[in-house]
Amino acid sequence: MTGPASNESRAWSTAPLGLLHLDADGYVLRANDTFVGWVAGQDAGTGVAGRRIGDLLTVGGRIYWDTHVAPALTLAGQVEAVRVEVRTAAGPLPALLTARTRPRDGAIDVALLAVRRRAEFEQELVRARSAAERSTERLRWVQHATAALSHAAGPEQVRAALLAAVAAHPGVAAVRLQTAGGLQAGDPTGGRHPGPDGRLSVPVAGAAGTHGDLVVQVRGRPAEATVDVDALATIAQQGGVALDRALLHERSMSVAHELQHAMLTIDLPHREDVTVSAGYRPADSGMEVGGDWYDAFWVAPAVLALVVGDVVGHGLLAATAMGQLRTATRALAGPGLGPGRVLDRVDGFVVDRETGFGSTLVYAELDTGSGVLAYACAGHLPPLHVTDAGAEFLWEGRSTPLGVHHRRVGPPRRQGRVRLAAGDTVLLYTDGVVERRDVPLTDGLAGLARTAGRPAAGAALTTQVLDAGPNRRDDACVLAVTWSGTAGT
Amino acid sequence: MSPRALHNVRAVGPVDGTPLVLAHGLGCDQKMWHRVVDAFAVDHRVVLFDHAGAGGAHPSTFDPDRHASLEGYTDDVVALLDDLALGPVVLVGHSVSATIALLVAARRPDLVDRLVLVGPSPRYLDDDGYRGGFSAAEIDELLATLETNYLGWSDVMAPVIAGNPDRPELGAELTASFRRTDPQVTRAFARATFLSDNRADLARVRTASLVVQCREDAIAPVEVGRYVHEHLAGSRFVLIDAVGHCPQLSAPEALVAAVLDYLAGPPAP
Repeated sequence: MTGPASNESRAWSTAPLGLLHLDADGYVLRANDTFVGWVAGQDAGTGVAGRRIGDLLTVGGRIYWDTHVAPALTLAGQVEAVRVEVRTAAGPLPALLTARTRPRDGAIDVALLAVRRRAEFEQELVRARSAAERSTERLRWVQHATAALSHAAGPEQVRAALLAAVAAHPGVAAVRLQTAGGLQAGDPTGGRHPGPDGRLSVPVAGAAGTHGDLVVQVRGRPAEATVDVDALATIAQQGGVALDRALLHERSMSVAHELQHAMLTIDLPHREDVTVSAGYRPADSGMEVGGDWYDAFWVAPAVLALVVGDVVGHGLLAATAMGQLRTATRALAGPGLGPGRVLDRVDGFVVDRETGFGSTLVYAELDTGSGVLAYACAGHLPPLHVTDAGAEFLWEGRSTPLGVHHRRVGPPRRQGRVRLAAGDTVLLYTDGVVERRDVPLTDGLAGLARTAGRPAAGAALTTQVLDAGPNRRDDACVLAVTWSGTAGT
Repeated sequence: MSPRALHNVRAVGPVDGTPLVLAHGLGCDQKMWHRVVDAFAVDHRVVLFDHAGAGGAHPSTFDPDRHASLEGYTDDVVALLDDLALGPVVLVGHSVSATIALLVAARRPDLVDRLVLVGPSPRYLDDDGYRGGFSAAEIDELLATLETNYLGWSDVMAPVIAGNPDRPELGAELTASFRRTDPQVTRAFARATFLSDNRADLARVRTASLVVQCREDAIAPVEVGRYVHEHLAGSRFVLIDAVGHCPQLSAPEALVAAVLDYLAGPPAP
């Protein structure tokens, strides 16, 4: 065999490349020895001709051929250096595929260059890139969870947010929070790596104990949507902290409510010559404890003290401050002092104990023998004097809120006096009764005077006043005393 | 930005022609249709667009979370059709876009007059009693292949079509919109495509449809095409003499003939 044609033919057959000649539809018309050797190995009987090129590649290459390479060959007439793997007797052989279409009949010439070593290098690069992308995805997952947890309010919402955030990962098929009584953290099928059943388990730890375990069912496929256990553990840990916070908040709210409840369900003094009634209405939100409180007690056998206060702030701190101010006021009041001096003493308590700063307070003493009411307002709204003729605010005896302007020496806080007629009523109240954002205070006060002027007494009066109160965003309380004028014991 | 701007919408053909929307499949963009556009545009208003993350779509369209499933792409097409307000359209979906078109018709039958499904597959993975054509391991392998290849659709196609001497205006436009296909987007789309199972959705579709099946297709085999036809009420089935998964490129005349023939006849089989 001599001559250029046969030399060319021999060169084609033994070239260090797999060479194929395909028809326009991708069926093998001819393959060189190198390619046949790859595919057949020792088994020279394995045929190549007549098969479609996709069938000679692994499935990735097969799909890629149909979605990318064949369209490119149709349109552009050539492709260069596409990474495929040839199915050979010795397993997948990494190769670069270059192909060109013959314009005349659409037949395709294909050259495949084996790239075993280079493939390892490429895989390193791909792995590095995947790791970088995974770490980005991991970060996004954790950030998403952090944001969701920070918006959740109560423990139930936190649990729901935690589960939803974990389930948002495309590799997560199902997730649940397993609490004590079921599977425990030490369960051999859970753990840092998915078990044979594809389950992962990480603890949701709180500062003082566990909130349970996040049990995650991972999807088997695809490999790249792998659930990162470290990220999952981070999310679980954040969930634990969020649950701690939510439970603590819930507990502190419930303690605050109990405290307030205890303070607002006192036994009011009761005697023939005076009727004392009180009412309290929480804010519509109802979640947080407000700072309104009231009290009534005997300072001397014939002197009744009446107090309404409003502590700055909400929640447990406000409830605590309320309790302290109430106790202090009771302890510091005494016969012969009068409202101005009592407020001075309470003021000193506020400054010394650093509690209840800026709170307002109205303190009044009713001499049940004479009907004289002495009163002093520390930054508080004026008492309302209700008579047969109408209602009038008592604007005397005004001074600054507690702790704002304390003087150890000097004249006492100002106080006012009014003489009640038999059957008169005096109302003490907090700003929730009269204040509303969109209404001037003077209008709110006028409204209260109108409401209180209607004939009613005792509990009916306080209920009437609270129901008419325009502001439901703030809590409100009212204390009413009616002097009947007959001498008591 | 409006959906039509975000998705790089192009419309050709008579303004009063029956609206016909062409939805491209995985890994490519609207240029996939360039061999059939002119034939359809003779008496249809042909609308082309790019899916999120593909071709000339605005980069902000692609959201890795939203587009982790085909629902995200379905949302996009519904929004786009609402924005275009062309009335009920003929929606032509190729490959995975055939599934997306089915989901659009199931959700908003008012938007779609007829469906044309080219190479549809409601599930690529084999399942008990169902042959989709791929095992789970093979899907992993495909994803790995996408990892090692940067052969972006636009990279290959734009220069070719741009060089088309018959349509110089198209060339300039395409060169301007030339953008490298982001392998991350392709991978996410591939994941959403090959892991979806929309067999149950077939029963939700009431829209008349045509299933166009290639004689030999490694990605959507003939038996899968028949499965779609059998489970899709009011569908017709046509087998065209084409090999491969992209008849709009390898056999444009056959595809155009099958579609126009269907559109000329009554919708029901």
